[in-house]
Order: sequence, then structure tokens, then C-alpha cells
Amino acid sequence: MEAEKGKTHKYLRERRPVPKEVTEQLKVFTKTKKSILNALKEGDKTIPQLSEVLNMPKEEVMFQLMSLLKYGFVETGEIDDMDEYFYYKVKDNGKDKS
Amino acid sequence: MPEQKETLEYDVLVVGGGIAGGESALNLANIGYKVLLLEKELTIGGKMILLSKVFPTLDCAACITTPKVSEISRHPNITIFTSTVAKKINKIAEHRFEAVILKKPRYVNVPDCTGCQLCEEACPVSVTDQYQYGLVGRKAAYIPFSIASPRAAAIDIDNCTLCGACERACPTKCIDFTQTEEEYLVKVKSVVVATGFNLFDPLKIPRYGFGKFKNVITSMQMERQLAPTRPFNTILRPGDGKMPDNIAYVLCTGSRDKTVGNPICSQICCMYSIKQAQLLMGALPMADITIYYLHIRAFGKGFNEFYAQAQDMGVEFVKGKVGKITENEDGNLILRYEDIESGVVKEAEHDMVVLSVGVLPNMEISETFENKNLELDPFNFVGQPDILASPAKTSIEGVFVAGTASGPMDIPDSILSGGAASAETTSYLRRASL
Ligand SMILES: Cc1cc2nc3c(=O)[nH]c(=O)nc-3n(C[C@H](O)[C@H](O)[C@H](O)COP(=O)(O)OP(=O)(O)OC[C@H]3O[C@@H](n4cnc5c(N)ncnc54)[C@H](O)[C@@H]3O)c2cc1C
Ligand code: SF4
Repeated sequence: MEAEKGKTHKYLRERRPVPKEVTEQLKVFTKTKKSILNALKEGDKTIPQLSEVLNMPKEEVMFQLMSLLKYGFVETGEIDDMDEYFYYKVKDNGKDKS
Repeated sequence: MPEQKETLEYDVLVVGGGIAGGESALNLANIGYKVLLLEKELTIGGKMILLSKVFPTLDCAACITTPKVSEISRHPNITIFTSTVAKKINKIAEHRFEAVILKKPRYVNVPDCTGCQLCEEACPVSVTDQYQYGLVGRKAAYIPFSIASPRAAAIDIDNCTLCGACERACPTKCIDFTQTEEEYLVKVKSVVVATGFNLFDPLKIPRYGFGKFKNVITSMQMERQLAPTRPFNTILRPGDGKMPDNIAYVLCTGSRDKTVGNPICSQICCMYSIKQAQLLMGALPMADITIYYLHIRAFGKGFNEFYAQAQDMGVEFVKGKVGKITENEDGNLILRYEDIESGVVKEAEHDMVVLSVGVLPNMEISETFENKNLELDPFNFVGQPDILASPAKTSIEGVFVAGTASGPMDIPDSILSGGAASAETTSYLRRASL
């Protein structure tokens, strides 16, 4: 095939349009990631605390935060005094690797 | 249109790369037969590779699966096709089968991928991780999980923006978006069906609130939370990240229940729930664990002792039928249940509920057989017409069944069944050369 190694995404882009939902989904994630990381830069927070400052449902914060933890943007801090909720903090000063 | 590839020839086609199919393939390969192992997922290992520890010994599941899986992948007599299904299988004559198989593109040249994860890091997309049963996200360029086999990246093309970040990041240039679907004709002498089971979908029981109440999860999700490749930093409620301290199990979810179309016992859920309860007591020493059950089925070797051990550890067993689950504002759950001993309807509050979902048949394989009928049993598992004398035999001579494809069973029984299928396949193949 005529596609150059290392640039084959261009080859497929000509043949397979990227659906709107996929680009939209990326935008939402990028935005959520930014807002979570910014909130954490202000200070370590638990999921209910993040939910309150970001005005976002707790379950959604949980899902996105755990994803950011997995991707290496966030790390786990101490647990609160009631032994219920962990604090989370930005890793490496929230340096965006992607 | 898939690209038509060359015709392949093997002695045996094994469909399904779980522990049962893997065991069959390994035995056959060790005798000297050439085996083609088909797996529809990106990795072999089936459900077992995703488990935490196993009852009744509490051995780590990965410690048993990983060496086995790597033996299968390295065996010179076994060829593995992942992301591949059999489209049709025809029996031409005794000891002559022809299958058409379809291999989906992974967009990665597996032999060149070192599993360095740089593509994963570079990919900007985040979607739901199916291998973590929806608890966390994953990238569109991703390695399924750290002990996956092959441990190679794959591109989720449906969620890919074709931005090229992965290709730029890959040091070995193994990402290849020009890959397409490939179709092969495969000629074999015998077939082993090891397509495993499906999990019951608890959305079918709306009164349990699964999907709506985020702190109601399935046993497979709890299994992931307990596994070393877990989705969270520790065991947490998906609804708000709280560390739970009062967890309930609802046994027989989707089993022994005519109203959901599955009247039979799933055989494994009592035991895996008792196992998880013990593991939870280790992970969360302050937590209370309550198991709501109808009967405890602890029939295997060492099972009853394992059950007694859980009772001694302080797991509470309540003989009760859970009717309905509702949610409090704080995310806690109220279980309304009939206490079977007293006949009284009671309520109890828990901060997390695990639904012990049952084993359902995976029926799709029977449609793959074109000119012969692969008969199913009354519950839609692969039928065993000679269950007492030759349990691996199916309605088609030369086609054998292994593992949970034939009915609910645990890992030791799946391995035994895989062994039986390989033995019967061998004897069928030997007859060809007599
Ligand atoms: C929550 C939970 C906990 C458990 N804990 C334990 C435990 O502690 N101890 C224990 O002994 N057992 C346990 N089990 C049971 C155990 O998972 C099964 O016994 C075992 O996985 C069965 O193996 P299998 O190979 O028959 O099926 P599966 O693991 O289902 O493997 C089947 C494979 O076939 C593939 N496949 C399906 N259809 C096709 C197709 N058409 N083409 C190609 N490939 C296909 C699938 O992708 C899969 O990889 C547990 C089960 C659950 C759900
Ligand atoms: S094994 Fe236990 S939980 Fe599972 S269906 Fe049978 S009785 Fe119910």
C-alpha cells in the first residue's frame, strides 16, 4: 500500500471520516480533565469536594478522576479523618503529557 | 469486503481462548497436533485472567493464568488468532471440516509492539474500559491490561480521531492504519468449541436499581476492584469514591429465576461471593459483609470448609430473598427482603451492594455450524448427548465441547473438561489414521 510507515493515520483519514460524536467526546474529556486538574492545583480534594466546586455529579467526577489517576495525571493522597474519602492531588504539578 | 487470504491447514480448530479452550489446545499441541486457537477478544485468558483470587484456595488467579497463557502463546504447535471469530463451519466428511474465519484489524503489528505504552500515553481520547467493566476509562490506543496476552497495543478505531499522536509516539513504528479485515478458509480434522459463558445483565431486574444506583455493582466489577490490575486506588464506591464499610451481596441474581428466563443454578456465584467476602475482610478490615442467599451451594472439594471459614471470619449470612433496592440521598442502599426463616419482610441499610450475577449460555456458536446442527440443551448451552460416557461429545461427530460452553462450572471443572475434550479429540483423530 502507498501509505508511509508512521503516517498511516493520514491514509485512513482519507478513507474513513471521523464521526462527530468521537470528536465531541474528545472535547468533553479534554475540558473535564482541565477543570479537574485546575481544581486540584488549588489544593488536594476529595471526590465530593471536587463535585461541589466543579458542579459535576459525584459519579462523573469519580469516573474521570480514576481515569486521570490511571493515566498518571493524578495521585492518591491521605484519607480524610472519617476514613471515608481519599484526597487526590496533581502529579508532577499537573504537567499535561498528552 | 474483507481481504481474502490464503487457505490454512491445521489438525484442530479450537474456538475460544479461555481457560478451557487453552487447556484443550495445550494438550493437543503437546501430543503433536497442530492447533489453531481463535479468540474474539484482543487477549486470550477468558474471564479467568480478569479474576482476583480463586476459591477455594485463594491462589492468585493471575499466578495460575499467566504461566499457562504464556505456555499457550509460545507453543510451536499452537497458532493464535485474536480479534477473530469463526463465521461458518462445515463438515465435509469424517475428519474433514472447513471453516471461514474473520480477523478484525488491530491496527498494530503485534510482533513489533514492545508494549511500551507510549502510544497509550500519547492518545488524547478517553472512553469506557470494557476490561474494567465500565468502572474507569481507557485510551483509544491501548493495551487491554498489563497481563494481557499478547501484551500488545490495539487501536479502538470506533473511538479514534485519527490524530496520529500514537504513530508519532511509537518507537518501533508498529501502528498500521492500513490494516483491514481478513478472511481465511481453514481446513481442519476436528473442532473444539470452548466459547465460554455470558454474564447475566442485571439491567433486566430493574428493581435492583443497577445502572441507576451507582453503588450497586456486579460481582465481576467487584472482582476487578479486588484484582491487582484494579481500576481504583483501593476498593471504592463508584458513586462517590467512598471507601465502603458495609457491603451486601445478593446471590442468585439472574439465576434460579424463571421470570428472567434462567431457571437453573449458576453453580459458581455462591462460592465466588464467599471468596470475595473473605478478600474484602482482608482489604477492608473494618467492613461488615452480609450475604443474602436462598441456599448456599458449596458442593466441591474444600468448598464447605471455605464457607465455614467465611462464617468464622465474621461474614454474616442471611437467608433472605431481596425484593427491592432503593437509594438514600447519601448513596447508601436500602435492601427490602423477606427473611426466609421468620417469613417477615425486613429492611437493611448498606453502603454498597454487589449483585452476584449468574452464568448464561453463549449461543452464537451454534449458528456458525452450517450443514450440521450443533444441538443445544434445554437451557441453550452446547448439548452433551452422551454426557455420562463421553461428556465432551456434541451432536456433531468430530466436534467436541470444553468448559462453560456446556454449562456453568468453575475453573477446576473447566480445566478438567478441557482435558476431556482434548482426549476425545485425540481419540477421534487417531481413528482417522487407523
Ligand atoms: C465474578 C466471577 C468470579 C469467579 N471466580 C471464580 C473462582 O474464584 N474460582 C473458580 O474456580 N471459578 C471462578 N469463576 C468461574 C470462572 O470464571 C469460569 O469457570 C471460567 O472462566 C470458565 O472458563 P471458560 O474457558 O469455559 O470460559 P470463558 O472464560 O468465558 O472463556 C471463553 C472464551 O471464548 C471466547 N469466545 C467466545 N465466543 C467466541 C467466538 N464465537 N469466537 C472466538 N472466541 C470466542 C471469549 O472471548 C473467551 O475468551 C468466576 C466467575 C465470575 C463471573
Ligand atoms: S451458585 Fe448459589 S448464588 Fe449461584 S445460582 Fe446457585 S444457589 Fe444461587
